[in-house]
Amino acid sequence: MQEQQLENEIRNIIAEIIEKKPEEVTPDAKFFEDLGVDSMMALEIMAAIEKKYKIAIPEEKLSQLTTLGETIRVAKEYLASGG
Amino acid sequence: MILKDKVGIITGGSRGIGRAIALALAKEGANLAFTYLKSSQEAQTLVQEIEKIGRKAIGTQTDVRDFEKSKEMVENVKKEFGRLDFLVNNAGITKDKALMMMSKEDWQEVIDTNLTGMFNVTRHCIVTFLKQKSGDIINISSVSGIAGMSRQTNYAASKAGMIGFTKSLAREVAAYNIRVNAVAPGFIETEMVASLKEDYKNAMIKNIPLGRFGKVEDVTGTVKFLLSDSANFVTGQVIVIDGGLFIQ
Repeated sequence: MQEQQLENEIRNIIAEIIEKKPEEVTPDAKFFEDLGVDSMMALEIMAAIEKKYKIAIPEEKLSQLTTLGETIRVAKEYLASGG
Repeated sequence: MILKDKVGIITGGSRGIGRAIALALAKEGANLAFTYLKSSQEAQTLVQEIEKIGRKAIGTQTDVRDFEKSKEMVENVKKEFGRLDFLVNNAGITKDKALMMMSKEDWQEVIDTNLTGMFNVTRHCIVTFLKQKSGDIINISSVSGIAGMSRQTNYAASKAGMIGFTKSLAREVAAYNIRVNAVAPGFIETEMVASLKEDYKNAMIKNIPLGRFGKVEDVTGTVKFLLSDSANFVTGQVIVIDGGLFIQ
């Protein structure tokens, strides 16, 4: 999958869950401080990514979902291993 | 069948109320995992009985006091059955004593098993329930935790704690279509009640408006109701099953 496509898809997933415009979800915008994400939203983001890409991300990784960039990095880790 | 092909965990399943709940839910079509601590023989028998009903069963020797072991157990159930739909926190012990005779160990063991054990197992199930936006949790509390019972300060504290946990979690996860309820049995004919003194039991029965001790079926019926679609709008509740002993 193209890098840019993955970024756009994950950005859109996040934007929809946290009810912000996609352009507000910049790679470095901090979920909790800048975007008002709470722990339940973070979990929804994780679950939505798991569902879309048919991968399983361990619960321990939840605390690493802090920005779009970090979320993409975590997702790639599991996309690479085929889920 | 109200639970056809659903998968659930029952802690402390090998004996008493837990065992009765396991059998009743298997008859309703559920595949079950249960934990036990000491009763390996009884656990093996229960697996066979559930399989005879035509359902799958896994009995795991798990000390629910152990956070990591509880996690392993839950992960294994999800792996083996491929899903998880409900949890019944039933594992519980008593160490009845007058407070003046109660050791720190008597206190701690009861709190760790009954209260922390519930936390441990629920903690490891909740993310799955949140992600799938469904799940049912039933906590087996006791009238002791509502009305209080002499010589049970430790047990009553743990059971009252379960009720606070039930109500708080029910509020926390309701938006995710997860229901959390408790049942509070009174005197039910199990090994736990059999161990009470005879004259105490006779005195107790006179105070029960329905004039008898409860049967395990009285508890399993309520648990089945709470897990069924009939209870879809019921959450954060404590249903007392005590023959009217502590009508409030």
